[in-house]
Amino acid sequence: MTTTEFDPSKKMIVVEAAVWGPRGKAPLRLVVDTGSWQTLIVPDVMDDLGFNPRDGEAITAVYSAIGKEQGYMIGVPCFSALGYTIPEFSVHVFDLADRYGIDGLLGLSFLQRYNYQVRSAEGVILVEEIAA
Amino acid sequence: MQEMSTIPPVVSEPLTWVEICERYPDQWVALIEIDWVVEHNFRFRTARVAGSGKTRREPLLQARPLRTRYPEIGHFFTGPIIAPVVRPFL
Repeated sequence: MTTTEFDPSKKMIVVEAAVWGPRGKAPLRLVVDTGSWQTLIVPDVMDDLGFNPRDGEAITAVYSAIGKEQGYMIGVPCFSALGYTIPEFSVHVFDLADRYGIDGLLGLSFLQRYNYQVRSAEGVILVEEIAA
Repeated sequence: MQEMSTIPPVVSEPLTWVEICERYPDQWVALIEIDWVVEHNFRFRTARVAGSGKTRREPLLQARPLRTRYPEIGHFFTGPIIAPVVRPFL
């Protein structure tokens, strides 16, 4: 079991994650979002790691108040968060405003692989692997 | 063609996260030589700042020439984190 700390005084649960690409590794911060199916990373980070949208698995479209915005799905060689590392992981590359101060969202595509407990009072997330 | 910064990266001395936040308030920073204590808990002793700016892209472009020497470049915001008004989902 791993224990990941977060600041319970903040409005969101922000955790450290890391993604690997052709050019190296990028530690970054994501918001834990159980309402998001996909794990999302912004294009600036993916571009810097050497990913190309042309290598994407699928074009995505998100409908918001300002209209239709496009992103893409792409496989990364390695992704880690909450003390666990997953090889060959798919992420949704989609832009978020710079002012949010985060590089993406940690969604259910990662979280559903584990049992996890968010302990808000203590500011920790306990995570364990699901027994086979 | 990949966009590259024309400004040579200026790398700071090793700084703690508190010092980085004081020196680069409300900015995006690219960090190298991160001396992790516990990586998944965002706890490190010191790191060097290899790029900084008001946009997410600026520090990444400044630090890009260092990628060959530093395969790990952290990317963080020193200011408050704001909840997205609209959450994209699939």
